[in-house]
Amino acid sequence: MSLRVEQSLSQLLHEALVSLRTLGKRSVLALLGIVIGSSSVVALINIGHNAAVDAAMIFKDMGTDTLVAQFPPKGNSNTPMRASLDLEAVRRSVPGIAHIGALSVFGGPIVFHGRTTNANFVGTTADIKDAMRLVVRDGRFLSSFDASETYGVIGDQVAQALSTPGDPLKLGDRIRINDYLFLVVGILHNQPRAMLMPVQANESLFIPAEGMRRIFPTPQIGNVIIRAAPGENMERIAHDAASALKSQLTDHDVDIQVPQQMIDGMTRQSRTFAYLLLALGAISLVGGGVGVMNVMLMNVSERRREIGIRMALGARQRDIRNLFLLEAVTLTAVGALCGAVLGMTAAWLYAWLSGWAFALAAGALPLGVGSTLLVGLFFGIYPAVAASRLQPVEALRDE
Amino acid sequence: MMTDTPAQPGLICLQGIGKSYQLAGQHLSILNDVCLSIDRGDSCGILGASGSGKSTLLNILGLLDLPNCGQYHFAGHDIFNASPDDLAAIRNQQIGFVFQSFNLLPRLSALDNVALPLSYRGVSRHESLEQALCMLEQVGLAERAHHRPADLSGGQRQRLAIARALVGKPSVILADEPTGNLDSTTAQEIMDLLLALNHDQQVTLIIVTHDAHIAERLERKILVRNGAVHEAGRL
Repeated sequence: MSLRVEQSLSQLLHEALVSLRTLGKRSVLALLGIVIGSSSVVALINIGHNAAVDAAMIFKDMGTDTLVAQFPPKGNSNTPMRASLDLEAVRRSVPGIAHIGALSVFGGPIVFHGRTTNANFVGTTADIKDAMRLVVRDGRFLSSFDASETYGVIGDQVAQALSTPGDPLKLGDRIRINDYLFLVVGILHNQPRAMLMPVQANESLFIPAEGMRRIFPTPQIGNVIIRAAPGENMERIAHDAASALKSQLTDHDVDIQVPQQMIDGMTRQSRTFAYLLLALGAISLVGGGVGVMNVMLMNVSERRREIGIRMALGARQRDIRNLFLLEAVTLTAVGALCGAVLGMTAAWLYAWLSGWAFALAAGALPLGVGSTLLVGLFFGIYPAVAASRLQPVEALRDE
Repeated sequence: MMTDTPAQPGLICLQGIGKSYQLAGQHLSILNDVCLSIDRGDSCGILGASGSGKSTLLNILGLLDLPNCGQYHFAGHDIFNASPDDLAAIRNQQIGFVFQSFNLLPRLSALDNVALPLSYRGVSRHESLEQALCMLEQVGLAERAHHRPADLSGGQRQRLAIARALVGKPSVILADEPTGNLDSTTAQEIMDLLLALNHDQQVTLIIVTHDAHIAERLERKILVRNGAVHEAGRL
């Protein structure tokens, strides 16, 4: 019968802006829940992403083809661990081992030109270079001919700590540990932290295992690092290597961790954390949604007369519904934006505190803001429909 | 706007209209068997004591309330068969309301208040503001366009309300005690404005009032008494 067109976009936007400007303090409080909810969703996705990136970094350097063996004492035995193991025998009996090396670690100060720093002294063999994926920047790594020499290969951070701008630590320099001078034959490249490794190469000085007795009377093997050839079954190698090592030990057990199991464990852990955050986000979003609904219901009852006037002027039910729905969504949109900023800040702070690199997760903002807007829409529908169902004459009636 | 001219002679045609409420378990009859016909260009006063049902009659005439029985044709549309959206469309295009308490939206500027009815027609904001400003000029409020209703005097507010009622070029203006909240001089101005519109633009004017002086200036006087309607001077 009549030509009716939808309200034009410019009109709708103008209405939303006017309402946004006149929203009271009450709505700020209602927004709090929305902000918390939206920020925890954004933070959750981003922290989860950063945790995954960080875990990926650890295993990129360590690789899932590396096994670390530990030797916990059997029962109450306090017999010290042996100072050497026949690793060649292990290599022979377990096919698929590419590199194998033992570490005996002892900590203490290193002195160079009067400067002192603390480092791990790692007594080891030549093959550890490939087992631990060490990269030499200058010089060479230890070789099997160095067994009786006072040679050392120094980690990047230790080298930095012993250097000054005018007097850098160079190849051929001698560093002092206790009363022994060690010749620096190699300087390692900066190695990323390898979480599963018992020692950090950056903070270590690698010396021949046989020479450990010079600085420490009773050296013990702490770990054996095994690197498998590509495409091997890690579980089998771990099992076989454990039994081969056990045959050489009397008072100690062999405990080999398979990286994949640890990755799985870490994933489980971070998933639990993510679920926890998700639950927090969902609860505060629902709480915030109820707050928005409350504000909108009060808004509708306060503006009954306005609704009546608008209806008298020709607003249809859907115009009234859209008006209040748009207000609810505008309100939540403000909350969602604040939440996005807050959530990103929280994720950044968390990454900073955990020492992770901060990376923006692609899904964090769209998902966080989108779910918040959906909540606003969901909880805005009831008040908006209630407003649109008012009869014009009732809405206009003086209270 | 008045494209669908009705076949019936009267713009407004009520027959056997009745309205009753259930209030606290009591059956309350407000209007009984009201028959009324109003033509295009008429000016009518609806008079009656408080509680006589004149406001209910105005609400029914203005499609704000639906009668319980009878027949009502507005500009050819059968009100009983119209959907709420149709009623909203008729209100928007055919009826301009002027209320005793002005009923302006306090949060909107004068200009936006006047432009509001146009927004429910899908007119773009720019265009509706132009038309609204034009209408404000007609009622002499152009320099107040950006003031809020609260910053205006009573007479100015009512002129603003009239501008809003007129912006959609309605065929009927329904005014409920339009001068009830104004002093006599301002009331005089408002009545002059309404009558001028009726006279110059052939806008049908229906005014609810209890003021005999106002009624005197209108062509027809419809008396509402105990839910029944009589027309004075037309027997």
